[in-house]
Amino acid sequence: MNTYTPSLSRPHLPAGRLLRAALLGAAAAALLLLAVVSGIAIGETDISARIVYEVLANQMLGTSYVIDPINAGIVWNYRLSRALVAASCGAGLAVCGVVLQSLLRNALAEPYLLGISAGASTGAVLVSVAGLGAGLVSMSTGAFLGAVCAFALVALLAHAAGNGGLSNGGQIVLAGIAGSQLFNALTSLIITKSGSAEQARGIMFWLLGNLSGVRWPDTVLTASVTMAGVLVCLMHARSLDAFTFGSESAAALGVPVRRVQLTLLLAAALMTAVMVSVVGAIGFVGLVIPHAARLLVGVRHGRLIPASALIGAIFLIAADVVSRTLIKGQVLPIGVITALVGAPVFAGILLRGRRGHA
Amino acid sequence: MLLRSLASTALLATAFSAHATDFPVQLQNCGYTLTLDKAPTSVVTIGQAGTEMLYALGLGDKVVGTALWFNPVQPRFKAVNDKVPRLSDNIPSFESVLGKRPALVVSQFEWMVGKDGVVGTREQFHDLRIATYAMPADCEGKNNLVGSDGTRTASYDVKALYKGIRQLAQAFDVEARGESLVKALSDRQTQAVAKVKSSGLQNLSAALWFSSADLAADPYMAGKNGVAGYMMQALGLRNVITSAEEWPTVGWETIARANPSILIVARMDRRRFPADDYQKKLDFLKKDPVTQHMDAVKNGRIVIVDADALQGSIRQVDGMEQIANAVLKIEGLSK
Repeated sequence: MNTYTPSLSRPHLPAGRLLRAALLGAAAAALLLLAVVSGIAIGETDISARIVYEVLANQMLGTSYVIDPINAGIVWNYRLSRALVAASCGAGLAVCGVVLQSLLRNALAEPYLLGISAGASTGAVLVSVAGLGAGLVSMSTGAFLGAVCAFALVALLAHAAGNGGLSNGGQIVLAGIAGSQLFNALTSLIITKSGSAEQARGIMFWLLGNLSGVRWPDTVLTASVTMAGVLVCLMHARSLDAFTFGSESAAALGVPVRRVQLTLLLAAALMTAVMVSVVGAIGFVGLVIPHAARLLVGVRHGRLIPASALIGAIFLIAADVVSRTLIKGQVLPIGVITALVGAPVFAGILLRGRRGHA
Repeated sequence: MLLRSLASTALLATAFSAHATDFPVQLQNCGYTLTLDKAPTSVVTIGQAGTEMLYALGLGDKVVGTALWFNPVQPRFKAVNDKVPRLSDNIPSFESVLGKRPALVVSQFEWMVGKDGVVGTREQFHDLRIATYAMPADCEGKNNLVGSDGTRTASYDVKALYKGIRQLAQAFDVEARGESLVKALSDRQTQAVAKVKSSGLQNLSAALWFSSADLAADPYMAGKNGVAGYMMQALGLRNVITSAEEWPTVGWETIARANPSILIVARMDRRRFPADDYQKKLDFLKKDPVTQHMDAVKNGRIVIVDADALQGSIRQVDGMEQIANAVLKIEGLSK
């Protein structure tokens, strides 16, 4: 099984390609900035571009335009923090998707595969419905702890089933499905057993993903976790390239398989757990964006990871803008938008892939 | 107050005593025709609104089982309610309802007993010769197959509540009691409306915050066509929320920009979300960087109202009185 694959050797990059990469990077950064600006400028209500500029200038350039405090608060505290959280979560989820798809060699792998969203929902209802923590633990903390517990259980099960190793990605996928089912059942049980009769739609809404409650502390948390997580994944880009051909091949190429697997799974799980606890489970980003990015920049992780992060960030900001503006005076769950856009895009990618291989 | 309503009951009882129900009686109810050969001797209620309505009609001894409780029973009905078995706090099973062998099942919501009923469909009960009655407040002008809490196709009107009271009174052959209950409720509503009018405040607008999935998240607000929307409109307050959904989620950005003159905040015993606690709602309004600048928050024009009063039930008038009394105390608004 000692198969050496020549495509792993680093091809010589001519100057022209380097320039092209730099230009692409600059264009991508400009796009991201544009996305953030439109996230601030477009919202549930109309606030003129002039007022938006004046608010930003007051905050960042130290000017002192006279602005209605409600407008100032909406632009700076609601919209900007929200756009930045959307960008962080989009980037983080997309990179988690890339890592899991490569590590598990499964095109359907996505961040919630590891039982994380199911565990988060159990943690959230334990706090909010069953009253665990007696009001001292917030729903977000409960969700985070639930997510980590679920991941630990799934990882242990996969570890045991795989005879101490992750030689086969299939085991972790199956363990993830089992874990998700278990925790979803626990969530339903807790909700059904709760004393007061109300529909549990609030919790469902939260699980479909919801960016409305985010404020600056959430921005700081998600941005720093995403940056750290993406950095860890980038550092393992070449190992991930090796995993594309299976863990045996990676081992043959000198990759410390188990250490890398553990590090990357842990990084992906922690990133996802933090995001689920802040914004709920936003589907499709972690599944679709990696495939879209692969189509654009190829399978090499040195490029795939930053590209996925950027596309994910821009996509989620755009989805959030649409969710806030599609129906006037009402906000849709962002998960509905990502699925509505994500499913056809995914179908398109599949069809294009078929033509490419024909 | 109690004496007065007792006196009016007595008066009405004589006035309407001629109107005894002629059995068999046919009642048109939410697309079904109910035929009763005699007054039902036993009834199971699913939903607190129907339960308390029957108690208010003095029919507590006919109720053989209750289910779906949102709040503790009203204190004035506690003694009656203590004698009635509670099938479940939440959704009862089909068989637990059958187990009571009721002649009639009264359901507050169509999503309990109705086309997609989680307890059962009306046909399932009819097949077993059990009559069913659905509250007109939940079915008339409302599509319960769309939206998580149903969607109003026409504005709620308190007339639907009165219709429910009158029809149940007719079914149980206590029409005079039904009329006096309706009269007492509508008199109180008229007084509440007059109170707001007497304040002389013009162009009053309002928004009603029920709860939120997370404290800072988009709140559940009263839509324009629901029970709470009707209460505001009947009192002469313009609801700044325009959605037709019963309890739409609306962003704080939209609410703050609409800047209503009054904010109504629901108080409830439920503790599912942090924002169920009205103290936390008040705290949020004062601390959030946007809502703290709203006129209603800056000037303390915040009204607390009990959540039980926001349903199509006999408690609705309690909520209208709470709002009206609070409007009278408002200062700093132009007349």
